[in-house]
Amino acid sequence: MAALTCEVSWFCCGNSWGPCGTTGTGACGTCHSGRLQHAWPNASQACWDITRPDLCGINLARRTCGHRHTTTSRCTGRAVATTIADCGPRTKSFCGERSCCGSVCESNRAMDLTPAAYSRIESLSTGLRPCQVT
Amino acid sequence: MSTTIDRRRLLTGAALGAAGVVTGSAFGSFAPEDALANDAVSALEPGMPDPNFAEGLVRSIDDDVISALGSDGTLWRVRVTSGTSVWKLTPTTFDKVAVGDGLYARGARLDDGTLAADSVWANIVNLKAHVVSISDRKIHLDHNDERIVAHVMPGISAAVYNGTPAISDVSMVQVDSHVQVLGAWIPGTNEVEVSTIYAAA
Repeated sequence: MAALTCEVSWFCCGNSWGPCGTTGTGACGTCHSGRLQHAWPNASQACWDITRPDLCGINLARRTCGHRHTTTSRCTGRAVATTIADCGPRTKSFCGERSCCGSVCESNRAMDLTPAAYSRIESLSTGLRPCQVT
Repeated sequence: MSTTIDRRRLLTGAALGAAGVVTGSAFGSFAPEDALANDAVSALEPGMPDPNFAEGLVRSIDDDVISALGSDGTLWRVRVTSGTSVWKLTPTTFDKVAVGDGLYARGARLDDGTLAADSVWANIVNLKAHVVSISDRKIHLDHNDERIVAHVMPGISAAVYNGTPAISDVSMVQVDSHVQVLGAWIPGTNEVEVSTIYAAA
């Protein structure tokens, strides 16, 4: 796929501690915070109906559970390869939002990584970053 | 002099307190973004557990070693060094980590299975949630059909509206909107303390 530039955040899954205790193992049934995985807004038609990235002007290809993407932080230049394990993020809820580090900015949420994956490219305390996805 | 110091060797040395091993700036910092530069992306299988990342509830703390029980049943031993960065609502020190805290840690696995930590995050959460109501420094959230109370912390909490620089004024967060809350879980409760809230203005 052509490189997609967007925002990247992180989410917990796998019935871990705190508010993650009830999140379950995601739409694919395999999601766990300690695994190198991600959520994708077009993992199924039902998923697309929730996330609707098209309402933000983004058309994303249908990619299903287990498909591999590589996410590169536009702040650190570091990359992580992950597989789809859940549906998300809900792109439509943050249309037009921008995330920047210095003069580098990207808009719209299209990538959500597990804590294990996100912390390979950024500190978890950053929360939201511009990225490139291939 | 051209000397290459392997990160694992350095962390191991720091963790074991080996003589002659210095931490921090002499060989570069232990910040995760620096440490990660040495890890090849292709070395790890996508979809699989990351052996250099720990997740769990803190069960005990003995000197500089945290024992945590992972949600998948893994019993983690996480060793903190003088170069480990610690976060608990804000950047802080190891003595603020407590039994019962939720833990994420990234570092390098030592030969004995211990994780020598570059970074430790205590109770950190990053919730995408719906704002149900707002009252007196409390933002009531719906997160996966669970109610969460997010406390605005004076002097700490910040708001980012549409990607603009963070400000301390959270009053523009709107009821019935969708937000992202980066914060610290209060153990044993359905409450969090807000570090940063991302919202539309």
